[in-house]
Amino acid sequence: MPLYYYLYDGSFPGLMTAIYQAYYYEHKPNYIISSNKYQPALFAEKVIIKTDMKKFDRVYQAVKKKISNRSLQKIYYAYLSELDDIEMKIYRYLRMGFTIGKKIDGHLSNKLVLKLNKIYNKVSGERHRLLGLLRFRKIAGDIYYAPFEPDHNVITLMAPHFAKRLVDQNWIIHDLKREKAVIYNQQEWVLTDLKKRLDQGRLTAEEIEYQELWRGFFDSVAIENRKNSRLQRQFMPERYWKYLIEKS
Amino acid sequence: MDLLDKLNILSAAAKYDVSCSSSGSKRRNTPGGIGNAAVSGICHSWSDDGRCISLLKILFTNYCIYDCEYCVNRSSNDLPRAAFTPDEVVNLTVNFYRRNYIEGLFLSSAVIKSPDYTMELLLQTVRKLREEFKFNGYIHLKAIPGADYSLILAAGRYADRMSVNIELPSQKSLKLLAPQKEMNAIIEPMREIGTMIKNNKEEKNSKKKVLKFVPAGQSTQLIVGASPESDFHILKLSEGLYNKLSMKRVYYSAYVPVNNTPTLPAIKNPPLLREHRLYQADWLLRFYGFNAEELLDNKNPNFDADLDPKANWALNHLEVFPLEINTASYQQLLRIPGLGVKSARRIMSARKTGSIDYDDLKNFGTVLKRARYFITCKGKYYGGIPIREDLIKSRLINGKSETGEQLSLFQEPVGKETRSLAFLESGE
Ligand code: SF4
Repeated sequence: MPLYYYLYDGSFPGLMTAIYQAYYYEHKPNYIISSNKYQPALFAEKVIIKTDMKKFDRVYQAVKKKISNRSLQKIYYAYLSELDDIEMKIYRYLRMGFTIGKKIDGHLSNKLVLKLNKIYNKVSGERHRLLGLLRFRKIAGDIYYAPFEPDHNVITLMAPHFAKRLVDQNWIIHDLKREKAVIYNQQEWVLTDLKKRLDQGRLTAEEIEYQELWRGFFDSVAIENRKNSRLQRQFMPERYWKYLIEKS
Repeated sequence: MDLLDKLNILSAAAKYDVSCSSSGSKRRNTPGGIGNAAVSGICHSWSDDGRCISLLKILFTNYCIYDCEYCVNRSSNDLPRAAFTPDEVVNLTVNFYRRNYIEGLFLSSAVIKSPDYTMELLLQTVRKLREEFKFNGYIHLKAIPGADYSLILAAGRYADRMSVNIELPSQKSLKLLAPQKEMNAIIEPMREIGTMIKNNKEEKNSKKKVLKFVPAGQSTQLIVGASPESDFHILKLSEGLYNKLSMKRVYYSAYVPVNNTPTLPAIKNPPLLREHRLYQADWLLRFYGFNAEELLDNKNPNFDADLDPKANWALNHLEVFPLEINTASYQQLLRIPGLGVKSARRIMSARKTGSIDYDDLKNFGTVLKRARYFITCKGKYYGGIPIREDLIKSRLINGKSETGEQLSLFQEPVGKETRSLAFLESGE
């Protein structure tokens, strides 16, 4: 028996196209995988998926109508998790959703629903945590620049929050792991490719002063005889420290 | 003195104030302004003691004309003193905010020159932030007891939350430890603020555009362990504040000895467990439908060190248990030890699609270590021991976990508040 590998371009519309295809193609997928992650395997039968915005839209609308907005959000967050084999989980979840409709999320005893909830919580949890932990540095050219390396691909989930908040600043949020950046010009934000880190050697004098003030504040608010670094790490895992002014 | 030195002195002086909540206020961004307050509150860092840092928490000054015995800043103490200017506070706040270090400002102060003079400076600061800098981040402002009401109420137009600290839970202790303070000078501004908040809410319901007044409510703080009041006394006081003064939140702070005075108890360690128990009980008052008299009474005026308040209550009311998970009401579910608001909600919603068995509960993320002694699932009891107080008690104590049901801060807790200490997460 061959194993069917659906290869898509890694985008969300691409994934939805693959799922559309799976409904109409006689060979259902054993794997759905981004083509740049695919490694040739024994008995593999490749099915190349061409991203098709019309098909994407069909699936998108169908999820909204036949399942729920909540489910749509859930699968999108799950997709952004970039976890291994997440595509098949989304595919199986949608199959179930199209059968039983919006009731699906009440099925808390179903393993798949639980799993997807967990992943959703993970991604939205990281987003929430990083909304607090992201640090902007003022660099030459009057730009506030925030480098980071999130576990999941949360940059676009974070951008609207800062567009609402830091309205009258030019800012850049830069995911150095994925080499993507969101750039905001006091009007709107766009996602773009960006490789090189921008702040090195470009910090303003004012920036250095405020960093020092922030470190001073951070150190003086801790109560010595209540030191608890286990708790601190639990909330603020060490992998995020690299970009924290107060911890690096 | 440079700004860094001032900041070090005046943030260190403010750190014992435990209230860190920055939630409950939806302040939208205004055109040309910066910032908006997130409803659920955001932690921006965690200090080395594991507490959430959400606000720039500082004293305006630690120069004080008063001499309260429990306070580091008392006038008779010899220590480095400093005072900010309104501009300095404004610049720090705005620049920290622009770099995403903070959600906003928590400004408190010792009493410099006079209560009115101090309150005037605080008012200038917050007015400048809101009016000149169009700052829409969160502001928690302390009202200075004894200051003219007109100053306090004027400042309330700019603050999201206001608080007056009671500190000592009774008039008698206040007399002894803070002889220059009057209980009335504390309670009266609270009443004023409370009335204004209420009126403001009513106005908002009737008209469209009304200036905000302390939209996130008022809070206060009590010191635990510096004076002889029992847990029962303190809890009754909190209950009264919640019910009569529509207080949003009461904070408890384990007494940390900072001065050597004969009127204060000599203790080695701050009574953290007691503080913890009070927070748990406070939680039960606010979200679980308990009242103070159910939890404690004059015969048993203090909480058990080994058992959390809910488990304690349950053991004294074993006649209510076991409760059947598939039929118990929501209010009943909330009274099961080990079961939180989140689990209770999940159970209610899952019951709609079918009946629940024991394994389902585990899948909901419910921690059954304690709950199992108090429930049945489809009529079956999983506790494994007879329902007897002594037996269950020893199991609960031996298998206890101090953090209880660990709600993750990020899984949208029902209270929608960012708590300052991890263990506040457990309401069990
Ligand atoms: S008035 Fe406040 S700052 Fe001054 S000594 Fe008393 S408690 Fe401390």
